[in-house]
This record gives sequence, C-alpha cells and structure tokens, in this order.
Amino acid sequence: MIHFPLAMRLLARNWQSGEQRILVAALVIAVTASTTIGFFTDRLGRGMTNQSAGFLGADLVLESSRPIAADWLVEARNKGLQAIETLEFASMVINGEALLLSGVKAVQDGFPLRGEIRTAAAPFAPDAATQALPLPGEAWVAPRLLTNLGLQVGDEVEVGAHRLRITRVITFEPGSVGNPFGVAPRLLMRMADVAATSVVQPGSRLTYRYLFAGHEADVSKYRAWLAPRLGPSHELVGVQESGRAVGTTLQRTERFLGLAVLAAIVLAGVAVAMAARRYSERHFDTSAMLRCMGATQRDLLGLYLPQLLLIGLLASAVGCILGWVAQYGLLYLLAGLLPVAPATPHAWPALAGFATGIITLAGFALPPVMRLKDVPPLRVLRRELLPLPSRAWLVYGAALCAIVAVMWRYTDSWPLTLSVLVGGIALAALLSLLALLLLSLSRRFNSRVGVAWRFGLNNLWRRRQSSISQILAFSLTLMAMAVVALVRTDLLTTWQAQLPADVPNHFAINILPDQVEEFASSLQAAGVVTEQLYPMVRGRLVKINGTAVQKSVTKEERSDNALNRELNLTWTTVLQADNQILTGRWWQPEDTGKPRVSVESKLAERLDIKMGDELGFSIGGETLSAEVTSIRSVQWESFRPNFYMVFPPQVINQFPTTYMTSFKLGKEEKPLLRELVARYQAVTVLEMDRVIEQVGVVFRQVTLTVEYVLVFTLLAGFAVLFAALQTSQDDRLYEGALLRALGGSRRQLRSGHLAEFTALGGIAGLLAAMGTECLAWVLYSEVLDLQHSFHWHIWIIAPIAGALLIGAAGYWGTRTVVGRSPMLLLQNQ
Amino acid sequence: MIAARHLSKRVETAAGPLDILTDIHLEIQARESVAIVGVSGSGKSTLLGLLAGLDLPSAGEVFLSHYPLHDLDEDGRARVRGELVGFVFQSFQLLGNLTALENVMLPLELRRDRQPREQAAELLSRVGLGERLQHYPKQLSGGEQQRVAIARAFVTEPAILFADEPTGNLDNVTGETVIDLLFRLNRDKGTTLVLVTHDEHLASRCERLIHLEAGRIVSPVKAASTA
Repeated sequence: MIHFPLAMRLLARNWQSGEQRILVAALVIAVTASTTIGFFTDRLGRGMTNQSAGFLGADLVLESSRPIAADWLVEARNKGLQAIETLEFASMVINGEALLLSGVKAVQDGFPLRGEIRTAAAPFAPDAATQALPLPGEAWVAPRLLTNLGLQVGDEVEVGAHRLRITRVITFEPGSVGNPFGVAPRLLMRMADVAATSVVQPGSRLTYRYLFAGHEADVSKYRAWLAPRLGPSHELVGVQESGRAVGTTLQRTERFLGLAVLAAIVLAGVAVAMAARRYSERHFDTSAMLRCMGATQRDLLGLYLPQLLLIGLLASAVGCILGWVAQYGLLYLLAGLLPVAPATPHAWPALAGFATGIITLAGFALPPVMRLKDVPPLRVLRRELLPLPSRAWLVYGAALCAIVAVMWRYTDSWPLTLSVLVGGIALAALLSLLALLLLSLSRRFNSRVGVAWRFGLNNLWRRRQSSISQILAFSLTLMAMAVVALVRTDLLTTWQAQLPADVPNHFAINILPDQVEEFASSLQAAGVVTEQLYPMVRGRLVKINGTAVQKSVTKEERSDNALNRELNLTWTTVLQADNQILTGRWWQPEDTGKPRVSVESKLAERLDIKMGDELGFSIGGETLSAEVTSIRSVQWESFRPNFYMVFPPQVINQFPTTYMTSFKLGKEEKPLLRELVARYQAVTVLEMDRVIEQVGVVFRQVTLTVEYVLVFTLLAGFAVLFAALQTSQDDRLYEGALLRALGGSRRQLRSGHLAEFTALGGIAGLLAAMGTECLAWVLYSEVLDLQHSFHWHIWIIAPIAGALLIGAAGYWGTRTVVGRSPMLLLQNQ
Repeated sequence: MIAARHLSKRVETAAGPLDILTDIHLEIQARESVAIVGVSGSGKSTLLGLLAGLDLPSAGEVFLSHYPLHDLDEDGRARVRGELVGFVFQSFQLLGNLTALENVMLPLELRRDRQPREQAAELLSRVGLGERLQHYPKQLSGGEQQRVAIARAFVTEPAILFADEPTGNLDNVTGETVIDLLFRLNRDKGTTLVLVTHDEHLASRCERLIHLEAGRIVSPVKAASTA
C-alpha cells in the first residue's frame, strides 16, 4: 500500500536535514554526464544522417586523379543521369604577405546534385542553405581561411595567377566529409576560373570528382556499366560507402566519450550505493517503530519506494537540464572540427539520460533501501537487532545489471560490453590490491610520525574498505586525466622535436619540369639551402608477380594505404643520405633505362615483396613492370623527400612528371614564400611548421573535449568521497568529541583529518602515476609509435595534485566534526 | 485479553543454547493493569516482546484478543498490532524529522484515518502539549517527549498498551507526572496495560505484578492498590 502523502512528508523532512543530498548530487552527475554525451552524439549523428546523400553531393561519385574518358559522361547522360565535374587541388592562397595552403574545390553549375551548401555572411554568423554558387571571379571560403589570412568577406585573395573576391563563408559543403579534421581550409570557386589560376599543369596533384544523380535504378545500371571499366586510379563511392565511413568515425568518437561517461556513471553509482546504505541504516529505527504500529512490509515499501522514486525523478530531471546546457559547451569546444552542423536537439537523449538516472538508482540504491522492510520490530526493545544484510549477489547483481544496461547503450556491442566489464573489474581488483598494499605500507610509518598523521593513517586503515573505494575512484580519474594530458603534450613536443634546426620545414611540390632549374636558382639566390629536386610520377602498385595486388595480398594488407592511393614514384642515381640499402645493390650506370625498382623496406615487409619480384605499376593509364633489385630503409621522420619506389633514370621519365624538394625557412624568411608562389603558380608549398601547428590545434581541441567529459568523472569521484564521509560521519563525530573531551585541541583534530585525506589523495595520485606510466607505455609503443620515456614529472605532480585536491575536499567535508561541542555530542550518544 | 501458554524462548549463543524464558503461563484480563518486574536479564523485555507479537516464541502459544500470534507471520502480527496495540518505550522512539503533531498522527495515517490531524492535536492537548504541536522532538524536554509518545500510543485507542520502562529515562518528578498521565489515560480509555519496569513505585500502581526470575514466573502477586 502506498502512503503517498506520508511518504512525501517524510521525504520533505529528510530533505531539510540534508540526508539525501549526496545521493541526489551523485545521481545528477550521472544523468548530466549521460545526457550531455547523449545530446552531443545524437545531434551530430542526425546531422550526418540528415545529410547522408547530401554528404556525398550526389548518388554516385567517381574519383580520379585525371580526367575520365568523355564517353563515360555521355553514357551517364544517356542513362538519364545528371553528371557534373568538380576538381580539387591544394594551393597556396595569398593575401598580401600572408599565405595559407588551402583545399581548393572548383565546381560547375548544378553543384551539388544532392544536398546543399550552407553559407554565412561572416565567420560564425548564422548560416543558411543556399542554391547558389560563387559567381565567376568570386570565392567562398571556410572561416579559418579568413582568420588565418586576416581577411574579411569582400576582400580579394590570390589563387595562383588569379584574383578572386570572397563573397560568402562556407559552413558546410557536400563531399567534404571524408576529411573532417583536414588541415587545409576550403576555398570554393568556379571551374571556369581554374584556367586563369595557372595552377593546374601536367603532373599536378589533382583530384577530379564526377558527380552523378538520378533514379536509383538508373544509378545502379550506370554503376554496373562503369565498374568493369574502372582502372586503378579510379574510385567509385556510393551513398552507402560514404555513410559507412562517416558512421564509423562517429561511432568511435561516441565510444571513446562513452567510456569516460561510463566511468562517471559507475563512480556515481558507488556514491549512490554508499549514500543509500547510510540512508537505510539511519531509518532502521523508524522502520522498527512503524512495524510496531502495525505497518506491514508492503506498507514500508509503500513509504520508502515513492520517496526513492521521487528523488530519482527530480535528480534525473535536473541532470537532464544540466546535460542539455553542458552539451553546448562540448559543441563549443569542438566548433570548427565538426563535419556537419549539429541537428536541432531531440528529446530522446534526455529520456535516455533520465532512464540512466533511474537505472543507476535502482541498481545501486534499491538493495540497501529494500532492507528497510526487513527491520525486525523487536529492534524497538533491542537496538542491536539489525535486518539481515542484503545478499551479496543481490547487491552486486543489481549494480552489475545497471552497469551492463548503461554500458550496452554506449558500446552497442555485447563483446565490447563484456570486455570492458571484465577489463574494468580486473583493473579495479588490481588497483584495490595495490591500494591495500600502499595503505598497509603507510602504517609502517605510524610510529615515526606525529599524532595528527598517526590519527589520519589509522583512520584510513580502520575504514580501509571505504578508503580503497575512494582511492580507486580518484586514481582512475586522475589517471585518465594524466594520460590525456601526457599524450597531448608528448605528441606535440615529439613532432616539434623531430624538426631540429637544420631540418627542412617546407616541401615544394608540383614544380614543373621547365621550371626546375629556375626554381632551384631562385632558392639559392635567396640563400636557402635545398635538398636535391626529385622528379615525381604518380602511379599505383597494381600487380605483384603478375597477380593483381588486391588478390595476392591478405585481407588486412589490402587496406594498406600504399595500395589504396597513388604513390609518388621517382628516379635518381644518388641514394638519399638517410636511406640504406638492406639487400640488393644501388643503381649502377648500367641500370639506366632498365625496368628495375628499389622498394622501401617496411612496405616490402607488409606486402611480402622480395628481391626479384616483378612489380606492376599503373601510371597514367599505362602499365609498367619492374623487377625488385634492392630493398631500402627510409627515415620518414627526417622530413626530407622520401619515396616508397625509386627507379633508375630513363624508366618512367616518359610519363607526366613534376618535381619536388624540401628546404628550411626561418620565420623571418617566410616572405620568400610569397614571392615563390606568385612566380611559380603551379607550385604548392607545404609549410610543415604550419601543418604541425594546425594538427596541434585540432589535437588540443579533441583532448580538451575528453577532459571536459572527464570533469564529470572527477565530480563523481568527489561524490564517492563525500558519500564515504557521510557514512563515517557519526563515528567521526563521536571520536572527535571523545578526543576533545580527552584534551585534544580543535587544531589537532583538524590536522588529523587533513593528514587522513592528504594521505588518501597522495596514495590515489601515486597509483594514478603508476597506471599512467603503464598505460602510456602501451599506448606509445603499440598505438602512437612514439619513443616511451619515463615521465618523472607525473610521479611528482599526480600525488601532489591528489593530496591537495582530496586533502582540501576532505578537510572541508569534516569541518562540522571539529566545530561541534564535545559535551553536546556525548549527550547525543 | 492476553493469554500465554507454556511460552519459552531459547536463543543460540556462542556458548550453546540459552533459555531466556521457560514455560511461562499467564492470562491478563481486559482493562487490567499488569507490571512485569524482575532484575536485569530476567527476561522481562523478552516477555513483553512476545506478548506484543514483536517476536516469536521458541515454544508455546500467545493469544492477543482471539488472535494466535504464534501462528501468524510477521505481516499478520503487524496487522494485529495495528488493530489492538499501542507502545510506550523507555527511549521514546519519536521520529526526529517529524513535529510532535506529526509523530502522533503517524499511526492514524498508517491506518488511513480520515482526520488524523484533529485527533492527534486533541490528544496532545490532553497530555498538556497543545501549545507545542509544531515542535520537533529535539526542541522538547525528556518528559515532554515521553508525553508525545504516550499521546501517540493512545491516539488509535488501542485495546492493549505495552510500555517498556516508560520512566527509565526520566527524573523522579517528571517520571511521576508521566505515570499519572499514563494511568489516567488508561483508565479513561479502558485500556489493558502491560508494563515492564524496575521502578517499584510504578509497579505498585498496577493491579497485578508478575515477577520474573531467570526466565520463570516466581510469584504472581496482587498489588495493594490501584492508581
């Protein structure tokens, strides 16, 4: 039977006494974290699905590095399809002295065939869809291009030999999704203006995209017609393929952030369980009294469950609202990186967050609260009587069910849920063990420290179960934060460190054969030391020993980047300084004109290419076969021009060729770039310092997002701390009163508490440092391919940060214990 | 009103089984007032718990009115308590988060009574706390708290009132006032009163004494006078 008014009155009174605050705070944290990520991924996901066909800009796209045969387009139109062409290339865009590498896209009337371009009048102004395109002589650009070049809408920029007036800012454009974190900001212009730029020359690195749209059946027919005609330099992308790629990226992001949120929810759950247990224990007497007055078990459930439910509903509602606000923070942090404008928020992430709150409450709070119905009425006469403890399987089973239910939502895969669960339990067990070890070690110092520390360390040991759960919560959170911070700084500094003073920091590509000498002498005249100029021919590796490469390699190898794009092929007689012949021999004069090739060692290893193998290349629609006569090691990090495939002279020189080189420019020499680019319009200069800077910006943004989400985890950790404090509050009050009655000063008591929580935080920090070091080692060696070195500063910062943070929080949390009069407390006991 | 036949309570301890009550046989008539007395550990509170249906005997039978408590499950006994029984405890057992009025309303609300507020307020006035309805227990003195507890016990007009050391936590003067109140209400409402006490003066005001020694009744004695 539900005694609703009575239940509400009890709830209101308990609320005033502050009993349920921790429980509510923990729930709010769980729901806020869950709702924030829910909103974020939902809005992004729907933004993407809404624009799925619009992403591609067509129903079918054919990518090619050179123009396709005219009859392919004729055939498309004969089959009733619309067909248009776009051209993409990288080019330096210039405003006065400032220049920036930009991803230029030239389009024809009718672009896009599907979806729409969204533009705004100024950077970060509200955007809207448009049917228009830039007029001839105009350009639309990404906001970053404006800010980096110090431009405004209405200004002019130079692209190659041509000047274009910027008339709009692009916020979304179909077909740009493949590389949402791309380094070069977009510039959209008319195809008709391309010739005037003089950027496009034979051998230039270009991407032609042919867009087709029409009835589904017609598209399928054309696809079937086209498929057998495609060469190695072609790639066909339909809506499905494009959607899948985008979906995977999103899914990964979602899972990554989901794990952080999951940690926050589990920690919040632990806090909820602790708070609920305390709540339950404080109501044993009430329950016994009510039983005496004739309340049945159902009556008691009818009193307590509505209270719990209402707490859950209110906390979840507050969490939903906070989550709704917090998602804007997340979107703001990631602004500029998002591939699409997020869709308008829907209600369901709020509902899902709400459900998370109720599930967390049910899983973690229900078992202790259910104990209330089992309080024996005889407790009114014999205070020592307790209800049977909840069965362990019930407590852990309910919590586990709640965790699995929430986890499954984030991972959407049973194997992943299971592995995360098992991994999490194993990690928690290991950390608990280490925490116990450190706690017992800390006791050894007991005899050598002052009374305050002894009091603090004793407290930690006496309540070790609760201490360990707090240490666990904080060490995990600190560890996650430290790893993220470490990876960020290490990746960036490693990249920057790999650019020592004398190493080239600029690449010039697309140098036309007739400009090679002039270009080299311009650099020399300016006093810039250049590397050798290497010819570059673009071709694809298509056969190994006569077998199509896609068949002769395994499934994993098939996804190798080197097989899925055109390689830069070169010829030279001089072996690069940092290259080393591992097997075979370097070119001798007699090799000239012979179809032979030298292969980079790691690629050879990956594709199982051996000495004497016959490699087939597709270059400009023709095929060429060459024998492997040497295998070379290459230092890719040297930032000097390097190649997978090196031929002897006069083997591939009949194909369209451009040249490339690298050189070192100091910051003060940058104006030279402007001259070079103005003079050699086809040349593209890659400023590696800028690229690294830009990657750094992107990286910082992404890691900031992760840290943003980790704040929820940290808050949940604090909820655990305060729940634990609340649980031990009565004991502490009694002890405090007793110590003071025995002559202890407030100051001693305060120092004791400070020592206790400083030690707790220090131990958590120490564990976090251990975990960080291990995790960083695995990450660096297995994932990031970075040299791992001992991070001594983490071993100092983490324990100190932990000690300060948790010391301060614990000190604050125990202030009431110190503030009460000892007399009063003893009377209460 | 209350009958116990061959009532025994045995508990398992680390040192083996321990008999707390052995073969208790008693009957208490309606409107009778009975004091259970004895030294500490003689089994007084255990007997009270068994008679009130708070606990089950190891052997024997307990009837409250016509209900066989020994045959009922805990919820069944709770219903009987709700219908017939009121309690007053040594430690008052008031809910600290509720006002005096709300504490007294509680048993009425559990029974879904129509006008709990009016009845509770009226009874509090009768125990002299008409001006302190909205006070919380910690704002009341010990004697006042026990008066709230007495009001709470009588508000449902129970047929039987069990009291466990009702003056145990009070000084003599306050205890006397509380006892007067208890017996006055008992008389006015026609309640059967069973109380456990150390206090000889309090015991002497009951019509009958049941003396327990080591878990057995030694001498059912008629009291000299009634209050």
